[in-house]
Amino acid sequence: MSDKPKFVYVIYIASTPDKVWQALTDPDQTEKYWFGYRVNANGKVGAPFIARNPGGEDFDKGVILESDPPRRIACTWRPQHDNDRHERPSRVTFDLAPLRGQVRLTIVHDDFDEGSKAFESISRGWPAVLSSLKSYLETGRALEMSARDVDDKSCAAAAAEAGA
Amino acid sequence: MTDAAKNSSFVYVTYIRTTPQKLWQALIEPEFTRQFWAATTQDCDWKVGSSWKLMIPDGRVGDAGEVLEIDPPQRLVLSWRNEFRPELRAEGFSRLTYLLEPQGEMVKLTVTHEMPHPGSQFIEKVSGGWPIILSSLKSLLETGESLEATRRWPEGV
Repeated sequence: MSDKPKFVYVIYIASTPDKVWQALTDPDQTEKYWFGYRVNANGKVGAPFIARNPGGEDFDKGVILESDPPRRIACTWRPQHDNDRHERPSRVTFDLAPLRGQVRLTIVHDDFDEGSKAFESISRGWPAVLSSLKSYLETGRALEMSARDVDDKSCAAAAAEAGA
Repeated sequence: MTDAAKNSSFVYVTYIRTTPQKLWQALIEPEFTRQFWAATTQDCDWKVGSSWKLMIPDGRVGDAGEVLEIDPPQRLVLSWRNEFRPELRAEGFSRLTYLLEPQGEMVKLTVTHEMPHPGSQFIEKVSGGWPIILSSLKSLLETGESLEATRRWPEGV
């Protein structure tokens, strides 16, 4: 067993794999539930994975490593904050599996160095973003959450990381 | 975070559009747990020191323990031992904590399940179960319907 940080989160959504895939990769949808971020992950393998923050600033988040709609997508993940920008990119993988009228969505975020600050941020951010995604798909309404709602001293960084 | 060298633990955070009072009620009352928690109910009078049992619909006791701390609608801590699988029962008592924190129109629910030894098979099992139960709880409170896969006790278990 490696001691390197690894974040794993599983959430079940009453939806279809196609709808969950669209919600994860289409910027018009991510903007609604992902702290206002427009995330474009619709490209092919090797294409950039681009996000635009609510201030309208585009940044290169990483590269699409795997894309198998509507089952699996993996991207590199470049830290964007003052306290973690020096870290090398990590990797996030989404797996979608249908299960009796629901979708099991598994997020694995790994390939961090020991002591990574980015790891702390994403560990706070993903549960909020994925809870909001589930509400958005099941009720049509995302959770109203801002950077401040993702608690902790470095809440702004956590929310930005989660959203980026 | 717990010391991974000494403990086994599972932590799950979910945000639910509800109130702490409604979430507390859903975590405790049988008419709710039956819908999102595989048709189980809890046998407990919800006071510190009370015995606690998770009842399987066929009458077996699934898990048992006692109430260690209770502060509605914010915090509930239970001791918790599996009762129906000998190899898991042999691991002894785990500790389960529900923490409910209101945030605007939502409640942040943190579920922490810990066992005071490393490599716990029990914690591995519950790590597989909590995400679907808590996902279903969120669906029930936000949409009025739990997830279909959680409405019955699984066959053959």
